[in-house]
Amino acid sequence: MVPITYYLLLAAALFCMGMFGVLVRTNALVVFMCVELMLNAVNLTFLAFARMHGDGIGHVSAFFVIAVAAAEAAIGLAIVIAVFRSRGSVNVDDIRTMKH
Amino acid sequence: MDGIVEFFRTAPIPPEVFAPSLGLIILLPLLGAFVCGVFGKWLGRANVHLVACSAIAGAFVLSLMAFWATSDAAGGRVVSMPNAFGLERDVVRYAISYDYGTWFAAGDFRVNFGLLVDHLSGILLLVITGIGFLIHLYSTSYMEHDDGYWRFFAYLNLFVAAMLTLVMADNLVLLFVGWEGVGMASYLLIGFWYTDSAKAWAGRKAFVTNRIGDFAFLIATFLLILTVNAFSQQADPRDYNSAGSSRARYTQGLLEKGPVTFKGLEKMALALPEGTGGAVSLATPIEAGPLAGYTFGGVMTATMLLFLLGAAGKSAQLPLYVWLPDAMAGPTPVSALIHAATMVTAGVYLFCRMSSLLVLSPTAMATIAVVGALTSLLAALIAFAQDDIKKVLAYSTVSQLGIMFMGVGMGVFWAAALHLLTHACFKACLFLGAGSVMHGNGDETDIKKLGGLYKEMKWTHATFLVSTLAITGIIPLSGFFSKDAIFHGVHHNHLHDLHWVSGFVYAMGLLITACTAFYMSRVYLLTFTGKRSPEAKVAHAHESSWFMTLPLVVLAFLSVVTLVYALPLMPRSGGGMQPVFENFLSPVLRPAEAVARAAQTVALDHSTPAFVDYLIAWLVALSGGATAAFLYLKFFPAQVGKPVPAFARAVRRTAHNKFYVDELYEFILIRPVKFVAFILFRVVDALVIDTVLVRGTAYVTEKVGLGLRRLQTGDAQAYAAIMALAILGGAVYALLQVLS
Repeated sequence: MVPITYYLLLAAALFCMGMFGVLVRTNALVVFMCVELMLNAVNLTFLAFARMHGDGIGHVSAFFVIAVAAAEAAIGLAIVIAVFRSRGSVNVDDIRTMKH
Repeated sequence: MDGIVEFFRTAPIPPEVFAPSLGLIILLPLLGAFVCGVFGKWLGRANVHLVACSAIAGAFVLSLMAFWATSDAAGGRVVSMPNAFGLERDVVRYAISYDYGTWFAAGDFRVNFGLLVDHLSGILLLVITGIGFLIHLYSTSYMEHDDGYWRFFAYLNLFVAAMLTLVMADNLVLLFVGWEGVGMASYLLIGFWYTDSAKAWAGRKAFVTNRIGDFAFLIATFLLILTVNAFSQQADPRDYNSAGSSRARYTQGLLEKGPVTFKGLEKMALALPEGTGGAVSLATPIEAGPLAGYTFGGVMTATMLLFLLGAAGKSAQLPLYVWLPDAMAGPTPVSALIHAATMVTAGVYLFCRMSSLLVLSPTAMATIAVVGALTSLLAALIAFAQDDIKKVLAYSTVSQLGIMFMGVGMGVFWAAALHLLTHACFKACLFLGAGSVMHGNGDETDIKKLGGLYKEMKWTHATFLVSTLAITGIIPLSGFFSKDAIFHGVHHNHLHDLHWVSGFVYAMGLLITACTAFYMSRVYLLTFTGKRSPEAKVAHAHESSWFMTLPLVVLAFLSVVTLVYALPLMPRSGGGMQPVFENFLSPVLRPAEAVARAAQTVALDHSTPAFVDYLIAWLVALSGGATAAFLYLKFFPAQVGKPVPAFARAVRRTAHNKFYVDELYEFILIRPVKFVAFILFRVVDALVIDTVLVRGTAYVTEKVGLGLRRLQTGDAQAYAAIMALAILGGAVYALLQVLS
C-alpha cells in the first residue's frame, strides 16, 4: 500500500502548481483551470486522510468541494464570457477598474 | 343642623374607593395639555377652550372629592391611612394616599409613585384647580385676539398638572418632578410672546435663576438620603420607640417606599431630639458614609439651608427674587396663576410639608425668617416707585411671599399656609383686575397714564378695591387676619438661643404692613380715582366681558370669606378656642409640634391675638394707606409745577431702578461668569475641541486614507499573491510552533 505521505506530497505539489498558475498567468480561462487544480489538490488531501482514518467524512467533504467547484465554474465561465463580450479580451491584466 | 354636619362629614365617595383615582387629578390636565398642544390648531378656538377648561373643571371636581374624603368621618370613624413607617396602630388621620408602585429603584434605593392628600395638600388642590379654573375662564376672553391660543392653553394645563404633582407627591423626588415641571411651564409662559426678545430673555432669566435654586434642592435631597441611611444604621430601639415605630417597621418602610417619603422623614425627625434617650440625637456624629464626622443636627441645618436656597429660587426670595418682576412679561392670566397664586408658593408649601424636619434647626429657621423679612421689606420699598401696574403687583407678591417665609421661619406654619391661601385669592384678583384694566385701555400698564377708571370699569374697580383692602390688611378682610396671624405668631414664638429674631422680624413686619398699605393705595388711587390722564391711550375705557368679570367677582368674594379660617371658632384640646385653620391643619402639623416640644428648638405659642394686637396692626395699615391718600390726592397735585428737591429725585430714582440689584448681579455675577464662559469658549471649545479634536481627527483620517488608497491597485493577482504570502507566513509560524 502506498504510504499516505506520497499522496500528501502529490497534493501539495498540485496545489503549488495551481497557485503559481493563479498568480502568474494572465488568461482568465487558464487562471480558472488553475483554481480547479487547487481544488482537486485539496480533494486529494481529503481522500488521503479519509483513507487513513477509514471513515466517510473526507469523502463527503470531497463531494461538497466537487459540487461547489461545478457551481463556481458555471458562474465563473459566465462572467468570463460576459467580460469578453463587453471588452473583447479575457486578459486579467486588462481588468483593473476596481481601484482608487 | 346635625343633618348638615353629618352631610359634610360623609364623603360622597368613600375614601378607600376614591384613593386609586387620585392620579386622575393630575392626568386630566395632562391630557388637556396633550390634546390642546398636539391637536389644538385643528380643533379651533372654541374647542380648545372647551377642552382646557373642562380638564381643569374635572380636576376641580375630583379635588373637591379628594378634599371631602380627607375630612370624612362617617359614623364617627375618622378617615385614616396606615403609616408604612410607624407601628400598626400608628395611623395617619385625615389623609388618603395611594401608591402606584415603584417608579424607579437602584440597589436599595427606591422611589415610588405615591400620591398623598391630607388637609394641607387638599386645600392647595382646591386653590390650584379652583383659581386655575377661574383663570382659564378669564383667559378665554383675555386671549381672544391671540393666534397662539392653543399653545397658551396647552401650557396652562401643563402647568396645572405639574403643580398638582408637586402638591400631591408623597416623596421628595416626585415633588421635585412637579417642582421642575412648574418651572418649565413658567418659562414657556413668560416667554409666550417669544418674538419679542425682551420677553424671551425674561423667560430665560426666570429659568436660569430657578435652576440655581433647583440645584440646591437636589443637593439637599441627596443629603437627606445619606442622613436617612446613617439614621437607619445607628438608631437603637429607644429611638424608634420615641418615634412610634420599630426597627422592623422602619426598615420595611424604607424597603417598600424608599428613603425620601415625607412620612419616613417625619419618623426620623421624631426620633432625633435629645430627650429620647436613644443612640441617635442631634448632637450624635454620623459614623460612616460620605457624611462621617458631621452631627445629625449639623447636616440637618445644612440641608434646610439648601432647601431655603431652593425655595428662594421658586418663591422669589433674596437673593434669587430678581426673576419674578421680569416674569410679568408673560400674559396677565399667567402672572395671576403662576407668579402670584400657585407656583411661587411652592417654597412655603415645601417648608410646611417638611415642618417636622425644619423645627430641628433653629439656625435654619432664623435664617428663613430673616431672609423673608429682608426680602419683604426690600420688595415693598421697590414697589413704592414702580409705575407699571404689573410690576407693583409683582413686587407686592415678592413682599407677601416674604411674609409667608417669616411665618414659616418662626414656626407659625398654619398661618403661613393660611396667608398662602388668602394671598392666592386676593392677588389673583388683583392681577386679573390689572389684566382687565389693560384689556380695556389698549394694553396700557403705566398707572400714571390711567386714572379715573372707577366710572368706566365698575366691576373691575369694585373687585380691585376689595382685594386692595384685603392685601392692605383692613378689617374685615381675609388679608388682615392671615397677616396678623403670622405676625402674632412671629412675635410670640421663640427660637432657642435666637430670641432677638422674634422682635426683629415682628418690627420688620409692622414696617412692611405700613409699606404695603402705602404702595397698594398708591396703585389703586392712581389707576381708578381722579381724572383720566391726558396721556391715556384710549379716550374711554371699556368694561371687559363677563368671562373676565365673573372670575374677578368670585375671587373678590373669596378674599372676603376666607377670613372665616382665621377666626377662633374651634375648641382647642386643652380648653379655649383656636383659629379654624390651625385646627384644620393640626393633623398635618402635629409631628412638627411634637418634635419642637421634644427638641426644645422653638417655643411654639398658641395664643390668639388680643384686641390690642389687632388694633396695632390695623392702625399701622391705616397709617400707610392714609399717607398714600394724603400724598397722591392732596400733596402731589398741589406741588405740580414746583421744582422737586434733589434728594427726593435721587431716592425715587434709586427705588425706581430697583436699588440697582440687577446691575449689582450683572457686575458681580453675570459679567465674571460670562468672562469665564468666553475664555472656556475660546480655549476649550474653539481651540481644543473644535480645532484639535474634531478637525484634527478628520485631518489625520483624510491624510492616512489618501496614502493607503495607493495600495488598492485593482490587480486581482496582486491581491491573491498577498493572500498566498499571508497563508505561507501562517503555515511557517504553525510549523515553528509545532517543531518547538
